[in-house]
Amino acid sequence: MRTNAMRSVSRLGLGAAALCVAAALMQPASAVPVFARKYGFNCTMCHSAFPRLNDFGLRYRRNGYRIPGRENLEKLVYETPTPLAMRTSVGYNSETFSNTPETTNVAEFQLNGLDMLSAGLLGRNIGYFMVYTPQIAAGRGVAGQDGALEAANVVLSSPRSTWFYARLGRFEPAYVPFSVKRSLTVASYEIYDFAFPGGPPFADTRTGVEITGWGDPGIRYAAGLIDGSDTNSASDSPADMYLRLEKVIGAGEGQTAGHRIGLTGYRGLARPESGASPRKSFTRVGADASMNVGIWNLGVQYLHGEDNRELWGTAENVKFDGGFAELLCHPRTDLVAFARYDWVDTPSSVRMGVNRWTVGGRYYLEDSVAVHLEYSHRTQSPIQTGLGHATERLFTARVDFAL
Amino acid sequence: MRILTLGIAAFGVLLWLAHGNPSAADGAMFANGLLPPVPVPADNPMDAAKVELGKQLYFDTRLSKDSTTSCATCHSPDHGWADPKPVSEGVGRQKGGRNAPTVLNSAYMPLQFWDGRAATLEEQALGPIQNPVEMAMTMVEALDRIKAIPGYVEAFRRIFGTEPTEEGVAKAIAAFERTVISTDSPYDRYVRGNRSAMSPSAVRGMNLFNGKAHCTPCHSGPNFSDGDFHNLGVGYAAGRYADKGRFDVTKNPADLGKFKTPGLRSIALTAPYLHDGSERTLADVIEFYDRGGNPNPNLDPLMLPLHLTAQEKADLVAFLEALTGEPVKITPPTLPPAAGGK
Repeated sequence: MRTNAMRSVSRLGLGAAALCVAAALMQPASAVPVFARKYGFNCTMCHSAFPRLNDFGLRYRRNGYRIPGRENLEKLVYETPTPLAMRTSVGYNSETFSNTPETTNVAEFQLNGLDMLSAGLLGRNIGYFMVYTPQIAAGRGVAGQDGALEAANVVLSSPRSTWFYARLGRFEPAYVPFSVKRSLTVASYEIYDFAFPGGPPFADTRTGVEITGWGDPGIRYAAGLIDGSDTNSASDSPADMYLRLEKVIGAGEGQTAGHRIGLTGYRGLARPESGASPRKSFTRVGADASMNVGIWNLGVQYLHGEDNRELWGTAENVKFDGGFAELLCHPRTDLVAFARYDWVDTPSSVRMGVNRWTVGGRYYLEDSVAVHLEYSHRTQSPIQTGLGHATERLFTARVDFAL
Repeated sequence: MRILTLGIAAFGVLLWLAHGNPSAADGAMFANGLLPPVPVPADNPMDAAKVELGKQLYFDTRLSKDSTTSCATCHSPDHGWADPKPVSEGVGRQKGGRNAPTVLNSAYMPLQFWDGRAATLEEQALGPIQNPVEMAMTMVEALDRIKAIPGYVEAFRRIFGTEPTEEGVAKAIAAFERTVISTDSPYDRYVRGNRSAMSPSAVRGMNLFNGKAHCTPCHSGPNFSDGDFHNLGVGYAAGRYADKGRFDVTKNPADLGKFKTPGLRSIALTAPYLHDGSERTLADVIEFYDRGGNPNPNLDPLMLPLHLTAQEKADLVAFLEALTGEPVKITPPTLPPAAGGK
């Protein structure tokens, strides 16, 4: 008689075999997402390991989707190949929960969402970037996703100076130094997900305006005014503002070369999820660093937050701390390994203290086709009195690709 | 049904998008690929007799002050149409300030010289003759010498219908230089579909060239040059530029320390490298780029440390070697004797 453990091993083996077959059958794909197709580049021009940007990619994005120093050569979106791209992944997912009501374990092959992207230049100094995620109903073999225009923004660049760029629309804000949209891991950055009830995850794309700039001696800044929490009503003025300063040490941007330290301050106003009462304030203050030595990158984020008690419905204001330390090893262009520790410390009244370990790696069959293996173990403070710590074990083996 | 519809739509779009490697023909801005026909200016059409005259002038040391130096002295067919010395020596063994750029494929360059001070090959051709440390002549002196050689006088009359002129000398040498073309390299054969034309290492190098190594934004197009000017920090030390490069032409501070992107076809034949010949081998050049060039106030924003592995560096060298075209078959010309048979 087969035990549960044996059945799990069999499923994993089947999944791994299927992945190998899929990888073997897959035709070598051209690296042709939007920008690569426009310029004739491989993805690794801008990505150290797709989807993570390298220093070149970071400078390109910050320069309003124009190659720094080559602005006079740029073509507009009307002059270039079709500015469309997609990203999805398919593979085996296993998620096992304990002491977590209203969750369902998963152990099956799944399609993991779909992103549709468009980007380019609308004018010599006007870039745009859009990501649409169509609504996909969850079902057997399909991990559902909400339909959303995840990002749609225009970047206005000063023709004379790198000290002024304006990004308008819905965008991934610059106060998030480690992009969740271009993260190598499936497991989320816990501190970026942390929010009061009804509040948006810190790292979500936001709607508003952001001013950025950069120049010598390695100084970068960003400041923004955004609508803020979804609990605000349409008649509320833009509620949140932020400021970020970075200093880069050495050649590069600290992403794949050199080192970077950053400071972030954020102040927002939000209505409690229950609605009626006036808006209450919340703040975030953070420090982060990214260091590169040879094939290693160490990224560290610390964030402190304080939310008005009414946002949580607690007797006291909620103060919390959290962050992560992420180590990447990139020994070859086609291979990257990662390990990360996430934590969030909260008052006992909130019951949302988290610890998470994540390890894994990606092997690239082509620039834009990665075999992704990841294991993550998450522990959270007891969600209800009488329950033990809530745990989640995530294992995924998938092929992640863009075209 | 909704998922099915979405899936079919997505599949259709994917098929539409997945049309192979981006190329210049697809509108990809920086793609390399096969060389187009050599551009020829309307006022200097190619002509076999003119090319032969240009070849004679190119190899003729009598166009230099002490009759020791010709174009071919520093742009030698035996050395990839360049000079194996870091900087060339002209008349009286005087040293120039820059490494002699190859003549190979110079016909595809929008501007000539490392600093782009000549707009055409014709304009370029007269530069070294009049440069005091190269051939050290005035054009009057050079034309006097040419006019004293009956064979040249006859050739100019036959080709241009005039006696030897400055314009005729320029056109003839430029026409000859337009025949010095590097093509049909293993890379070209690979692009044409022969997948065994390049070694696996060279293929990996090609992908690095157009990806992690960030070469293509400058070494773009079929001649592997954008024809533009960039600051790599070469020669910058102690807060000053040993050579101001493009700035000396434009007087624009933004051009300080910028030099023209050289083409890379047959680059393996043209050592040493960079505008001052400071890097001896291709491997040395790649080391230079791997550390992100030399920091200076005007460093090109795309100069970034690359963190290439030893294998990746070797792969890049293999790719650059695969850009070596078939040798340009040039037989040294028989030069017309001076009056009196000298």
